[in-house]
Amino acid sequence: MRNKNWKQILLFLLPVLTLFVVYFVYPLGFVFVTSLTKWNGIGSMEFIGLDNYIDLFGDATFRLSLRNNILWALIRAFIHIPMAAGMAMILARKPLGWKTTRTIIFLPNVISQVALAMMWLAIYNAEFGILNSLLEGIGLSHLAQNWLGNTTTALPAVIVQQVFYIGYFMIVILASRMGISDTYYEAAEIDGANILQQELHITIPMLRGILITTMTLALAYGMRHFESTYLMTNGGPAHSTSVLGILLFRDMGALKYGEANAIGSILIIFGGVTIAIIRWLFSRNDSASDAAQ
Amino acid sequence: MRTKKILLGLALIMFIMPSVVWAAGQQEADKEIVLKWPTIWVGADSKAPMVKALVDEFNEMYDGKYQVDIEENPDYDAYRNKLNAQISAGVVPDLFVFNVSQTSFAFYEGDLLMDFSEDLDSDWGDNFVEGSIAGATIDGETKSVPFEIAVTPVWYNMDIFNAAGVDEVPTTYDEFFDACDKIKAAGFIPTSQMTGGTNAWTSMLWFSHIAAAIGGPDVWEKDITDPVFVQAAEILLKMYSDGNTSKDAIGGDAGVSGGHFLAGRSAMFINGPWYIGRVKSEAEAVYNATTIASAPGSEFSGAQIGFPQSNLAAAATDDPRKKEATVAFMQWMTKPENVKKISFDSGALFAVGYTVDENEEVDALQGKFMNAINDASFINTHFQYNYTSDVVAEFGQALAKMALGQATPEEFVEQIANKID
Repeated sequence: MRNKNWKQILLFLLPVLTLFVVYFVYPLGFVFVTSLTKWNGIGSMEFIGLDNYIDLFGDATFRLSLRNNILWALIRAFIHIPMAAGMAMILARKPLGWKTTRTIIFLPNVISQVALAMMWLAIYNAEFGILNSLLEGIGLSHLAQNWLGNTTTALPAVIVQQVFYIGYFMIVILASRMGISDTYYEAAEIDGANILQQELHITIPMLRGILITTMTLALAYGMRHFESTYLMTNGGPAHSTSVLGILLFRDMGALKYGEANAIGSILIIFGGVTIAIIRWLFSRNDSASDAAQ
Repeated sequence: MRTKKILLGLALIMFIMPSVVWAAGQQEADKEIVLKWPTIWVGADSKAPMVKALVDEFNEMYDGKYQVDIEENPDYDAYRNKLNAQISAGVVPDLFVFNVSQTSFAFYEGDLLMDFSEDLDSDWGDNFVEGSIAGATIDGETKSVPFEIAVTPVWYNMDIFNAAGVDEVPTTYDEFFDACDKIKAAGFIPTSQMTGGTNAWTSMLWFSHIAAAIGGPDVWEKDITDPVFVQAAEILLKMYSDGNTSKDAIGGDAGVSGGHFLAGRSAMFINGPWYIGRVKSEAEAVYNATTIASAPGSEFSGAQIGFPQSNLAAAATDDPRKKEATVAFMQWMTKPENVKKISFDSGALFAVGYTVDENEEVDALQGKFMNAINDASFINTHFQYNYTSDVVAEFGQALAKMALGQATPEEFVEQIANKID
């Protein structure tokens, strides 16, 4: 059967395969090939083997940026998603004002990252920021500081700004949670299970597939994190908030496309490996998660 | 009979075809040449109104023949990144503006940009300030037209100086830090600084001034690890210490450093003449209180930091009519009367010379800028002009590290040196 229809199958696959090759395989190959060159994007390429990679791994800023990327990925997967799931579980029980709360939590997702970053810059400002004013107002003026200008507070400040925007994943998880039949909960209640037990033993197992999917997406977002850090700190101070996207962007601005593409390649490889490990850990002997894949 | 018909048909075709070809060619020759000009001189930029007026005038003058369409790009950084990407992809805009730097001169490679060297050899070239065309020429090719230049002296808010009991601007760094102490005691911020943005602009200019004062006119010929730059870093570090700048300077961008000066909170600030229009419109009291002078001296005094700010460039073309249109527009934009209009309206300075009549009133602050250029003992370029953009970006990061007490001045210059290829 398969041999008989292979021409037709190929014909139907051809448009999408063409697009896939042109817009994914070719650019990806181009990135990998040019990462082995010294190239300013205008003149000719000079093949330098793995020099760009050797230079990058010898650079402390690169290693710090890679560490920050991994941190972003882990925080998004293991703090951001559990927060979104927790809120989805609360809202699924339809407490008073749950629709309004859902809208308010989702609202930041329809506001541009630039506007949000500007707002947080104003909140964190060392001279006039609301946060410092608040701390001074409650007698904690000794804690007031330049939140984005200090190497110990800048990264947590940018992370906090992002990690609380759980709206997108909360909506995705909430939609799945709403699909679970009430009969499971009613039966559990008759059996004497409290709310926490119901969530632990009914909701979480039944949401396992969507939780793995959202965690995988969150990991991917973490690995490619760029916008809010670029807008709020540009990787500073002293590279403390730097991520690979910022280094890549900076190298492109300096017309160092060979090195920029080496960073891009590393980002792709690390992202792929991290996601593969996470999915492998979650999906071992689990058919529910297979369905989610 | 049939042969006759065929011959008649062929004769008709032979007669008609050249007419059709000629008519098509004529139509092509009459077709309006449209040049797209993505530019940053739009929106709130001080040059925007006059640039638009000049483009409109050009379009009117060449109605039906040439037309220039402005594409608005108000974000300077985004414009630069877009330009880099476009030129790397071989898609050069018909007309564009670029900041002159060691990075952007890479655009000259290959055959992407139009070469104006032959056109500038004519009377047109006489419009330009001496040396500016040479500065835009590499290997005999002038692939951009010098346009805006800048000098970046120190802006002193004399109302704050007077309130602090300081009557004169400091001429040495000892006087400078004495003045800082008095300014702090009067409740003001002595200097505007910033480590953020893509180039830590204000602090990078302070560093360039200090380096010129210590190292003299040839300072940029020295290696960045030279003791001159370590000494300059020590003075810059002192500007970040003991409340000599604002609390938000580390991590702050141009909005922060400029904002303190505009609000009358900081006493000293550095920027170019393009900022005159903004100070005049947004902070009249500060405008009236501002005086312009060189930074304090050390081994050398009276230096200014000056550099080509932006050049005009265009895509290379094989179409003679398009080239003609491009050169016509470049000549229009660099016509002395037109440059004078932009300069008077915005406060910006240009690489094109023009005469000012006695009855014409030059903006007071712009006049001070011109005096600063004339009075300068020598004019040096800044740090940014001498290094690629990734090294310039490293300057801000290294400065933040030093200002936070995590690096010494020696380590500061070492960090920058490590970034240089």
